[in-house]
Amino acid sequence: MMDFDKLFVTRDWFGKPVRRNEDVKFVKGEATYVDDIDMNCAHVAFLRSIFAHARLKKIDTSRAEALKGVLAVITGPEVAEVTKPLPARAITRPARQYVMATGKVRYQGEPIAAVVAEDRYIAEDALELIDVEYEPLQPVMRIEDALKPDAPLLFEEAGSNTLLDDTMEHGDYEKACREADMVLKETFRVHRYSSTPLENWAIIARHDKGTDSFTVWANDQQPGRSMTTVCGTLQIPTHNLRLIVPESGGGFGIKLAIWPYIVILCLLSRKVDKPIKWIQTRREHLLGGTHAPDGIVEIEMPVKKDGTFLGLSVKDYQNDGSFIHTAGIYGLIKFATMVGQYTIKATRMEVLSIATNKGPTVQNRGVGKPTMTFALERMVDIAAKKLGIDPAEIRFRNFVKPEQMPYTTPSGEIYESGDYPECLRKGLALGEYDQCKKQQAELRKQGRYIGVGISTGVEPGTSNLGYYYTSSGVPEYMGSGEGAIVGVDYDGNINVMIGSVDTGQGHATVIGQVISDMLGITPDRVRVDNTLDSFISPYIGHSGCYSNKFNDVDLGAVIKATEKVRARIFTLAAHMLKADVSNLKLGDGHVHVTNDSGKKVSFKDIAALAYKKITLLPEGMEPGLKEIAYYRNPYAKLPNKQNFNVQLTHSNSCHVVTVEVDIETGFVKFLKYVIIHDCGNQINPAIVEGMAIGSTVHGLGATFLEEFVYDDNGQLLTTTFMDYLKPVAATVPHFEMGHHYSPCPTSLLGSKSAGEGGAIGSLAAVANAVEDALSPFDVKVTSLPLTPEKVVKAIKETKVI
Amino acid sequence: MIPSKFDYYSPATLQEALSLLSEYGDDAKVLAGGQSLVSLLKLRLASPRCLVDLGSIGNLSYIHEDGADNLLIGAMTRYAEIAESKLIAEKCPLLRQTALVVGDVQVRNRGTLGGSLAHADPAGDMPAAILALKADLKATGPKRDRWIKSEDFFLGMYATALEANEILTEVRVPVLNDRQSAYLKAARRPSDFAMVGIAVCLKRAKNGTCEDVGLGVTGITDKPYRPQHVEAKLRGQKLDPAAIGAVAQSITEGIDVNGNIHASPEFRAHLAGVYLSRAIQAAIGS
Ligand SMILES: Cc1cc2nc3c(=O)[nH]c(=O)nc-3n(C[C@H](O)[C@H](O)[C@H](O)COP(=O)(O)OP(=O)(O)OC[C@H]3O[C@@H](n4cnc5c(N)ncnc54)[C@H](O)[C@@H]3O)c2cc1C
Repeated sequence: MMDFDKLFVTRDWFGKPVRRNEDVKFVKGEATYVDDIDMNCAHVAFLRSIFAHARLKKIDTSRAEALKGVLAVITGPEVAEVTKPLPARAITRPARQYVMATGKVRYQGEPIAAVVAEDRYIAEDALELIDVEYEPLQPVMRIEDALKPDAPLLFEEAGSNTLLDDTMEHGDYEKACREADMVLKETFRVHRYSSTPLENWAIIARHDKGTDSFTVWANDQQPGRSMTTVCGTLQIPTHNLRLIVPESGGGFGIKLAIWPYIVILCLLSRKVDKPIKWIQTRREHLLGGTHAPDGIVEIEMPVKKDGTFLGLSVKDYQNDGSFIHTAGIYGLIKFATMVGQYTIKATRMEVLSIATNKGPTVQNRGVGKPTMTFALERMVDIAAKKLGIDPAEIRFRNFVKPEQMPYTTPSGEIYESGDYPECLRKGLALGEYDQCKKQQAELRKQGRYIGVGISTGVEPGTSNLGYYYTSSGVPEYMGSGEGAIVGVDYDGNINVMIGSVDTGQGHATVIGQVISDMLGITPDRVRVDNTLDSFISPYIGHSGCYSNKFNDVDLGAVIKATEKVRARIFTLAAHMLKADVSNLKLGDGHVHVTNDSGKKVSFKDIAALAYKKITLLPEGMEPGLKEIAYYRNPYAKLPNKQNFNVQLTHSNSCHVVTVEVDIETGFVKFLKYVIIHDCGNQINPAIVEGMAIGSTVHGLGATFLEEFVYDDNGQLLTTTFMDYLKPVAATVPHFEMGHHYSPCPTSLLGSKSAGEGGAIGSLAAVANAVEDALSPFDVKVTSLPLTPEKVVKAIKETKVI
Repeated sequence: MIPSKFDYYSPATLQEALSLLSEYGDDAKVLAGGQSLVSLLKLRLASPRCLVDLGSIGNLSYIHEDGADNLLIGAMTRYAEIAESKLIAEKCPLLRQTALVVGDVQVRNRGTLGGSLAHADPAGDMPAAILALKADLKATGPKRDRWIKSEDFFLGMYATALEANEILTEVRVPVLNDRQSAYLKAARRPSDFAMVGIAVCLKRAKNGTCEDVGLGVTGITDKPYRPQHVEAKLRGQKLDPAAIGAVAQSITEGIDVNGNIHASPEFRAHLAGVYLSRAIQAAIGS
């Protein structure tokens, strides 16, 4: 963390709930998204597999090509001829897959062919004229089915549907079991859900014949990586792709997986003389616009009678569907913080990535931590019940204590900061834990069932991407960083470009706050262009918007670039004011001479010297007033199985929830919802609060409503928002928020993650509350979502949800 | 929205609309509020050759009394208009209560009473209320009008007694005077289609027993229905929780209960009983 007295010249903006300055254009519909870019495009539509698993015998596109208005058609086999297969990252078994289906289809909705036509209507009509001969194969949908010895294989070359099976052990787990008074065991299941950003995937691709190069506009969330994956797949040098990311209407991880479609659009654009556009429909998005995987988590926890958790063993089965680029990643991320907020000394984790005929998966908000936290925090409640210890008390007994920070987990993750007991104390107070428990006893006598649930969770940020390759070998990417350009323009105002791409977080506002306090100006003088243009913007292999890295490395790059600009401002001002730099200070958009009241020069005049009156510049000094800087978090280590420090900041939160269950209908009502969040220094508390609430609502969606349901034939039954149910305002409780502030020593501003905490902690909190409410019926919650039907059935007969 | 190609007509009179229907036959679809039809067009689940928009026909949206203790409601009257109408709030609050729980604000601003009945969604809310009210529906054909009883109107999944060349133009509901009513629906979210919806329209004798009752049930089977056997059982009964509970489960007797991902047949049948009890109690409390 930096010395703020040196970093800032004012403290007017940092830490204040500054209103987001980008919102007006978004709510007025004045932002420019990919679909708003009007360049007389032809339009693309995709033919998608109607089967979940089938061999592709024949694709005949002749009738489609003959349709008036159709400009070109491309098929999977044609694409495979000219592209490299998808690069796998985490899995260890060989599996070959291309950006389009070839040979066979592996999920309902997998693209088989694509049509470019004068308009989208014709393109869609043409799809109906493509004749595909399928040989249906038995679909493999559930993990249990995929593991059967005679299960059909998704990838024959892998010899198994288990594409990754790796075990990592830290500390002496066997000893923990020997010393334990009991070893608790439970199996949890988390279903498939996702995020559904308002704006689906969108791409425009234009081919320039003269240079055989491509310009692409796409709402890509990780353009730094896409540059190399797209070019690698197309086998073209990276300078032949200019990737531009305009405004983006939400991401949540989902837009990390758009790049295979960029590849397809590039190939198609080569066939026609026009730019081409593809706007994904909601149905396409729900079918194959990527999900978070469903999974099974088998947990074993050796405990002492006094409630001490001695060890934790997890066997994690991840139904990764059929996208080898991401397969395996969720398990490794879960592993990194598997011990949660507890001083568990011995761990064992077996990570299994299972290929099935479900749709592709990609990193979705919280990536695995929601599932891991659900399982762990449920397990903690189960242990509390078994041992007759209050759920809050058992957590206090096992927490990592603030005086233990920085705390290294058995596998090597370093929790650099946090005060877990204090957050829970605050949560219990605000959540009126004791009163609710008393009320519970009273209401039960009247036949009303309320319950209180607690969940605590770690919310890591700034991930070292290299750990995806932990099992598979040499990392292609490692560390975490970002680039930024900060410049003073002619009028003395500030322009900023950055390698990350805002997907709704309010980056521009926050950057404006930080720069304003660094330069002594007001945020209205800072303009941030969130567009990324690979020919202009600074970016690195990690550039993008994910992993809660903005507050750390993205702002790090902004700070470093602003420091360079500030130094230049001082040098130029010293020349203009004929003073020594050490006698200068910033304020009100001017450089002032200290001890000599009145003598000052404005940014505008400094800019005039730098850009226009360059003859007056001191000898040897270059003109211009714009600086580029890259920043990497210096604490990142090489990924290594023995020392698995993969995330560099760790926020934490605790949720304390009171619910009432209608035992006749199974509906659950919130009576109280408390979130205590600690993300260190808050640069903009209003944005932090919005993030904490938004991510909690995401978690509540997963807990009650959102689920991708497949039938036995592999047909997805939830392809519209009538069936894939998002939370709506009326289903959302009133949130009471409390904060704690443990500044992060490893980020420049002492800030930490804020975007995922609620999505991580809420599932278990609600599940714990519902189980508590239903304790007179002996109901145990081991799976989600908590649908009314499952709740009633458990009360009446099954006793398990 | 990327539908298949269609011709679009916006006739100014009912006569013109009817002749278009006669001309195109099964290839034509009437467009009212579009809240069901447009979704079908979007997903290409319906690809009619021709759409006949009723929106420009001026005189299909109204709510007034007929002087014989009935309200007459034009088929193009929107949910929002029903929900906001003072006349309906006073004379037939069941319709207001039902309209208020259909979908969300946008759907209620566009969706029409006629559209919701003609569409005959097996989980539509308005059909349940119309059945409980024992309303009558006016079908206008090229030659004549005819009145159809609500209990004869719904034939099956999205199927009604309307002919392809007929337009539903008016709904006649009784003024409720001495009756009590309620519509309750179980839905995953407030804006969702009903897993179960129960409409009750109840007349109680001075001693509190049930003198007459009309029930409408939706979300259970391929069409909204009126469980006349339950109505018969309730007539003359004391309406205490035990008595209601005793008949409640028979609401799905002899009915082929549907299931989907939101609720299995067993759960729907269970909910139907619970909601019948709750709806009757809500009506009594209204
Ligand atoms: C997000 C969403 C949520 C919804 N939630 C609910 C809900 O909770 N409960 C519920 O009941 N409904 C719900 N609906 C459906 C809604 O009620 C529709 O408005 C209604 O079913 C159709 O009415 P419409 O006027 O929009 O008809 P349209 O969609 O225009 O037409 C529907 C069908 O009826 C035919 N039709 C329409 N008017 C006439 C007429 N006068 N004569 C003959 N045929 C006609 C059309 O040809 C078409 O086949 C929802 C819809 C949406 C989009």
